[in-house]
Amino acid sequence: MNNAIEIHHLTKSFPAAGRGKKAPIQAVRGISLNVAQGEIVGFLGPNGAGKTTTLRMLTTLLPIDDGQACVAGFDLKTEPQEVRRRIGHVSQLGGADLSATGRENLLLAGQLYGLSYAETSRRADELAATFELGELMPRIVRTYSGGQKRRLEVALGMLHRPAILFLDEPTTGLDPQSRAALWEQIRKLRSAGTTVFLTTHYLEEADELADRLAIMDYGRIVAEGTPRQLKQLIAGDAIVIKPRADGAIIQTIRASLAGQPYVRAVTVQKESIHLYVEDGAKSLPLVFDHLKTLNIALETVTLSQPSLDDVFLKTTGRSMRDNATKEGIQ
Amino acid sequence: MKTLNEIRLLFWRKVLETLRQPIWIITGLTTPLLYLALFAPLLNGMKAMLGNGNVLNLFVPGILVLMAFGSGMGSGWIVIWELQTGVIERLRVTPASRFSLLMGSVLKDAAMFIPPAVLVILLAAVFGFELHWAGLAVLLVLLFLLTAVVSAISTSLGLILKQIGSLAAVVTGFQLPLTLLAGVLLPLSIGPQWLQIIAHFNPMYYVVEAARALAGGSLANTQVLLAFLVMLPLSVIVFAWSTGVYRKAVA
Repeated sequence: MNNAIEIHHLTKSFPAAGRGKKAPIQAVRGISLNVAQGEIVGFLGPNGAGKTTTLRMLTTLLPIDDGQACVAGFDLKTEPQEVRRRIGHVSQLGGADLSATGRENLLLAGQLYGLSYAETSRRADELAATFELGELMPRIVRTYSGGQKRRLEVALGMLHRPAILFLDEPTTGLDPQSRAALWEQIRKLRSAGTTVFLTTHYLEEADELADRLAIMDYGRIVAEGTPRQLKQLIAGDAIVIKPRADGAIIQTIRASLAGQPYVRAVTVQKESIHLYVEDGAKSLPLVFDHLKTLNIALETVTLSQPSLDDVFLKTTGRSMRDNATKEGIQ
Repeated sequence: MKTLNEIRLLFWRKVLETLRQPIWIITGLTTPLLYLALFAPLLNGMKAMLGNGNVLNLFVPGILVLMAFGSGMGSGWIVIWELQTGVIERLRVTPASRFSLLMGSVLKDAAMFIPPAVLVILLAAVFGFELHWAGLAVLLVLLFLLTAVVSAISTSLGLILKQIGSLAAVVTGFQLPLTLLAGVLLPLSIGPQWLQIIAHFNPMYYVVEAARALAGGSLANTQVLLAFLVMLPLSVIVFAWSTGVYRKAVA
């Protein structure tokens, strides 16, 4: 088995609410995706795009309408039990037991996976330290703050050290410090070989964490690739150079640079030249070299990258930020 | 073995949860105690109709059945709460068998019925209820089974309906006819024949009849046998159905 997750034409629809005959709501419309072992894959998309529905199918919580999916090498339809043994899932709701203590929650979670009491207890202490929950462990979860509860829930999802961890908006409601700590943990999991599949609203999070991203909208994957590739999908990188030269020479430089194979487009604005290239970091030295052969000195150079927000805007026609802020208020 | 261990873990989770909210234990006791204090005295005036002996001998078994029904019925509300907080979903992602997920809370309800039932029996004894220990022991086993079946049904209804309001409507809709047609408060034998015929379609009727026989110290009789013959297959059917509901549960 090379891929941790293999999804082929996965489909899910729900009956429409309300009276009369209405067409069912197609939540997921035939998505296909492969996730390699040890990869962090992010699902990015606005509310209602089908991210959570996809995750719930992959974690055996929802039956599949159509299509196929293999998780950790087992078919979701025929061997859900084998899948469950190998995955962890932290849902949006979280699901920590509010009337139990943090420690009791962790102890139950481990033992339900067949771990011994001693081993579960040891791991619970470890995770409590990692997520800075130490003093909270003997307290009833009902008394936790939102962020503390979220940290416990993430710990609950990974105590049994699953091969694949599904995180549904893991950092929603976390303060920046906890968010950074969780990112750190997720990266550690990857270096330990865990595959992480997460959904998020936060572009920074997707950018920061994910090896690969799939942008979902209306139940379909509208774009897929590494964060870099996705950004390059838009316009590549922009290099802005300001030569120490006057207008006529600038036009010469422009024409000369336009002939370079790595340059997609060139525009001139006032005294600066905007170059659109596929990969800014790689192109920059080439630009320098070329300018040197022309014997042109530069006053300033800036390299700017398009953000995932631009990608999102382009692929879905909507801005991601609006969604994220609305969600934050809820 | 794996299943037993899972049930043990999930059972303790639920027991701890209940013990941390003693208010529910107390409110659970108020109904039988109020019946004993405020309703039983009325029966004293009907001695001529009900036959010889202390009226409590007739009345306490019915109250115990009512208590068993009430102890099981609450699980639907809790399961809806657990659906909403994501606990059910989190447990359903684990490899624990769906039967264990169901039985953890079902057995908790059944076990939690026993202490208040014993308390009611002892309290009634102070007021003249005759204690036949062997019969009462078998009765508690029968009512343990009834509580478990009611709890499993309530859990399933909660998982299917998902809304507190709908659950309340369905449960109250069933509770009154089921208890009335079981002769919980007064034996149906004093009623008209048509009432007795309908009652035979109600599993609880057999439990109540057996409860009166057992409380009277009579172990080997047809009512007791019938009650177990009804309840044992019923519990197998209900547990199988409820396990299936757990398997499909969608928040």
